Amino acid sequence: MSKVKELEIKNKYTGEIIDTIPADTVETVREKIKRVHEHQHLLTEMDFFERANLLSRYSSKLRFNKQKLKDLIVAEGGLPVKYSEWELSIVLTGFKFCDWYYQFLEEKTLTSIEGEQNVRIRYIPHGLAACISPRNTPISLPLYQLGANYLVGNGAIVKPSTACPLTMLEAYAMMEDIDLPGLDALGLVIAPGEWAVDEFLSSPLVKTIMTITASHTAKDILVRYAKVLKKGVDRSMGVTMYTTPFKQFFFECAGNDAGIVMNDVNLEQVAKWNVMASFTNSGQQCFSMKRIIVHKDIYDEYIELVIKEMEKLKYGDPTDPDVDIGPLGSRKILMMMEVMVEDAKKFGAKIYTGAEKIDTGADYGLFYKPTLVEIKPELCEDLTKAPFLWREEAFGPVRSVTKANDMKDAIKLANASNYGMRAVVYTSNLGNIEIFKNKLEAANIYINARPMLVDITVSLGGIKDSAYPPGCKYYPQELVFGKYIYDGTPLNIDKIK
Amino acid sequence: MLEEELTGQVIDIQEFRTEIAKNYTIFLTKYPEIFSDLDDGSIFDFCLYNSIKDYFDKSPADTFNVLRNENGIEIKSGRANESDLELALSIAAVKKLVQTDTKVEYAQLLGSYYNDPDEEKEWIDFTLYKRTQTLIDMGYGKFAKTAGILEDEDEVYKL
Repeated sequence: MSKVKELEIKNKYTGEIIDTIPADTVETVREKIKRVHEHQHLLTEMDFFERANLLSRYSSKLRFNKQKLKDLIVAEGGLPVKYSEWELSIVLTGFKFCDWYYQFLEEKTLTSIEGEQNVRIRYIPHGLAACISPRNTPISLPLYQLGANYLVGNGAIVKPSTACPLTMLEAYAMMEDIDLPGLDALGLVIAPGEWAVDEFLSSPLVKTIMTITASHTAKDILVRYAKVLKKGVDRSMGVTMYTTPFKQFFFECAGNDAGIVMNDVNLEQVAKWNVMASFTNSGQQCFSMKRIIVHKDIYDEYIELVIKEMEKLKYGDPTDPDVDIGPLGSRKILMMMEVMVEDAKKFGAKIYTGAEKIDTGADYGLFYKPTLVEIKPELCEDLTKAPFLWREEAFGPVRSVTKANDMKDAIKLANASNYGMRAVVYTSNLGNIEIFKNKLEAANIYINARPMLVDITVSLGGIKDSAYPPGCKYYPQELVFGKYIYDGTPLNIDKIK
Repeated sequence: MLEEELTGQVIDIQEFRTEIAKNYTIFLTKYPEIFSDLDDGSIFDFCLYNSIKDYFDKSPADTFNVLRNENGIEIKSGRANESDLELALSIAAVKKLVQTDTKVEYAQLLGSYYNDPDEEKEWIDFTLYKRTQTLIDMGYGKFAKTAGILEDEDEVYKL
């Protein structure tokens, strides 16, 4: 047995140790996978609505204890307290009303050309899912992964980020407090992704891998999976046979969302929403307006308004209720922001505001001032020549802005990306709205929408490098497979008797 | 066309077990317009609890149900036969709610007890007896907003 190590969890702002927790070892991860697998039947023995009711009840437990959770989100995640409520609301709403997802799982009867109804499509849970969550959301995404699997009847192991696992551990403890039936079919793994992912990939008990991560990390997981497949090659019959069964992969990856502002809107209002959409959680969100595309007629006026709004953002201690921008998640993010801005400068980019940092030299208390960088439109269209900031996801408080001549040009610029999570449009021209809906290349299109919607209808997913498989998606829908059942008994029972 | 004014009435008030439930029903009849977004025939339970433990043990101190009919609301003691949902409230919360002077003040306080509940004192919760989609179609989503349980978007955007 390898020695159990301890993990120090630090306050993202002060660097103080919040707690020291035992980390999993290879052996304990394997034990957890086995335990969850053995208890999966507890979930499938309940029907969908029983599980939905239990999850709804658990949502009440979370709400009654939300202050404790918010404190942890702020401390270990660095999210400003004013946004911790939003982070929590996503799961509270989703779980409270989770029976809403039944519309995606309800058994369907198909009618043949002759009018017979012998075919049904029934939705079956895939089986044990191993889920990997990012550091930017200490609770919403990992708990959503756990809850979605519970809802459809899959056992699940969730690995929260080792930088901020305490909120999820507390959320799990609250499941224990209410004796959530079937809890043994859910587990948390506290381990670094480097080797935990390999354990998930190589375990025959794990049927699905769900990750919320950078697109490049997701592709790396596929490369590792290829190695696992190769290990299982059997050439004894003279041909190459890969004996390891398929796994399902669900990747939620990076976003480099375009936000288009046309010349027919209330610029003050849109500038406010734009800044909120771009800098919530210090810009450390996969869905966030990252590439701002502004109609040339209102460009100068709009930039002025956006800068004014950006300069209102207060950064500092995330426990301060007035603070908008909390500390960055890691040194790597700080370095990446610097690299992106420096690279953009080489392309003659104009820095409108920001590009200053507070660097403690450690992995806490790190800030990068909200930054707006103008990139010339002619540099944006060909991705092989575009600055890094335009090409790749800026997972921090740096945003690029460029100028569009008209709607067609704005759409072309928006689609000049390897990513396609969301696209946002502000226009009052009702005649153009359908064109935007049809032409923009993203899985989720938001027209004249307020940012940060907390609603059960909000979908995840993306196209291009933003998600695999592509499309807008609701996790419960993705965690089951359709089973085609043809029952010819009413037609043929007399013949086959 | 002017919207017809809604009315509220309590049936057989002497059947209520507690004074606080009587006071609360009388209070609700002052603001039947809170229920205006609900479809006619919507019916749900109000359950008053002494403690959170009683709530989890499903042991209310008093219950009544509110029926939305074409004229307004009708309140009766006990649970409804086929209730749409249960709105659970701590008695401490009800004591404060009945002291509010306006519908807006009531909605704000009710919302705060949902969004920032205190397990030991004032809290509310609800349990759905029908599917969420069915309840949305019956107008419960809009009702929750009017009643202060779901936050108004403008409040959210004050962030």
